[in-house]
Amino acid sequence: MGRFRLTTRLGLRARITLAFAIGALLLSTLLAATTWALTRENLLNQREDSATVVVYENARIVQQRAPNEDSLATLGALSRPLGGRPIIFDGDEYVGLTPEFGQDALPRALRDTVVVGQPARMRYELRGEMHLAIGIPIASAEVAYFEVVSLNDLEDTLEALGVSLIGASLVTALAGAALGWWASRRALRPLTGVSTAAMALATGRLDTRMEAGEDPDLRPIAASFNDMAQALQDRIERDARFASDVSHELRSPLMTLAASIEVMENQREDMPERAQAALDLMVGDIDRFQQLVEDLLEISRFDAGVVHLQLEEVHLAELVMQAVHHASDADIPVELDAELAGVVVQADKRRIVRVITNLLDNAAKYGGGADRVSLRQVGDGVEIAVEDHGEGVPEEDREMVFERFNRGSAAGRRGSSDGVGLGLALVAEHVNLHGGRVWVEGRRDGEVGARFVIELPVEEHG
Amino acid sequence: MSTRILAVEDDERIRKAVKLALEDEGWAVTEAATGEDALLHFQQQPADVVLIDIMLPGIDGFEVCRSIRRTSDVPIVMVTARDDTHDVVAGLEAGADDYLTKPFAPKELSARIRALLRRARTSEVSSPHLRFGDLEIVPEEGVVRRNGRDVHLTKTEFRVLVELAQSPGRVFSREVLLERIWGYGYFGDGRLVDVHVRRLRTKVEADPANPRHVVTVRGLGYKLQV
Repeated sequence: MGRFRLTTRLGLRARITLAFAIGALLLSTLLAATTWALTRENLLNQREDSATVVVYENARIVQQRAPNEDSLATLGALSRPLGGRPIIFDGDEYVGLTPEFGQDALPRALRDTVVVGQPARMRYELRGEMHLAIGIPIASAEVAYFEVVSLNDLEDTLEALGVSLIGASLVTALAGAALGWWASRRALRPLTGVSTAAMALATGRLDTRMEAGEDPDLRPIAASFNDMAQALQDRIERDARFASDVSHELRSPLMTLAASIEVMENQREDMPERAQAALDLMVGDIDRFQQLVEDLLEISRFDAGVVHLQLEEVHLAELVMQAVHHASDADIPVELDAELAGVVVQADKRRIVRVITNLLDNAAKYGGGADRVSLRQVGDGVEIAVEDHGEGVPEEDREMVFERFNRGSAAGRRGSSDGVGLGLALVAEHVNLHGGRVWVEGRRDGEVGARFVIELPVEEHG
Repeated sequence: MSTRILAVEDDERIRKAVKLALEDEGWAVTEAATGEDALLHFQQQPADVVLIDIMLPGIDGFEVCRSIRRTSDVPIVMVTARDDTHDVVAGLEAGADDYLTKPFAPKELSARIRALLRRARTSEVSSPHLRFGDLEIVPEEGVVRRNGRDVHLTKTEFRVLVELAQSPGRVFSREVLLERIWGYGYFGDGRLVDVHVRRLRTKVEADPANPRHVVTVRGLGYKLQV
């Protein structure tokens, strides 16, 4: 039998959503990183260019003044629109306006380059902050002019930009996830239709079909689903027809046999002894045959799914007592919870009677006869238990006894020829149809014997 | 003159076997293999009880039942192959008084027939003249009048009405009615009662959908409203 794997560990919808989220996150991160890098480069270049212009201007002033003036005075005369720290190298030492911005504030590589007569600029970190240093050698005055510009404000700007870009990426990823969720829901909506239809089919509405709709991608699914449903319906209807055909075919000869044997029974006294014995055997087996045919038909109707509950309002306690009384020659005591005395339930009377009759028959055949039937309220339901004093049902057979034509290993050992092994299977079917369950356990009072229990859900009606 | 039973059954072997069994009970049996045959026989010589198999070639059992009902209130027993609701209710709606599911024991059939025959006779036991609004029941004459006009009831419908009318206001459960009218115990089919009450209502109620005389008591049964 083919079994097609439809799911992995994560649901289809979760996977689509996740893929969308990851995709969105990757894309937006890439975009953010590029944006950030470009912006940073742009801002820095801009700042460097404007700083360079200012520094050249100042260098010209230094060139004019240096030969005549004290370096410190020259420094004081310079304009500093960008807040740069000017430093003059007069051939011996570096003179700055403040002690922090002297020789040590300039990177060595820059100093070396400028001192040998090469203008240079350099970005570097000074005391934990980004700075730009520009140095211009002034050959005519035999000095060099340096300026250190803080880039920290740019760093702040870039940091703020970075934070907003990360935020934007996360929002984009979330939006991606939302889009994925929505898209997967849209994409999977037709599958919801499939599952609803399949469910309807499974609960017996065999004429369930899917609407093909306009979507060219979904039409094949709908078409194959409908083909399957049709095949299933045909098959089940064929089975149901077969059951009804068998019903008619078997019932007619049985009818003739039953009527003829009754006529013979009326003449029984006039028969020789041997013929009487044969007749008695026939009478017994006609009954058995009749029961077998009826059980088979009943169970084939379950298989064909053509079984319907015929619900009516039933006094449950009265029904059980009547059924027990009707089914047993010996008086089997029925124990009853007081609050159940007046309970009226919606039930199929015939089926409940069959269930109790079959359980009592079973107890009679394999448990030496039922010796107690009890009825009690459990939660939302009613529990009906039939107890016997037989050998009980071994643990490993407790599921199996409700299967068809299975009388359990104990029954096999006893070699009983009574019964056809459909009784308990029918009990299970009838009880399931009522939405209840059935099982067998050991007796609760510690004695040896079986306790067959059915539990029926109860909707009270007064 | 012995009781005459008309047995309509297309399966020759079943028909013969049933005839033998019923004759053992002391009844005279007329056989009919088709619906047409059955109607012809019934015209020529009305029976006391009619036994009809639903599955017949030509006109089916339901139709035979309806045709007989047009002219006669003779007790009719339907024989169905299955006890599914459709066949049973359709048979009862067509006018059958009771039904049996194949294969049945002839003893069971005899018991049913006896119950139907007994019922037809006991309904003539005298009771006082009863009146409920526009409804008038005269059990001795087997007559029911609504607004002074005769209402035609089958014997079973009449019996249901009289049973309820003898204790007006008392609620009768399906089981009690099954026992008193059909002779079934607790396990009779409640649909017999339901369909007969429905049929009865179409005849004695001004508005069968909102009955004023024969009313349902939810969860309990039926009663005749005083």
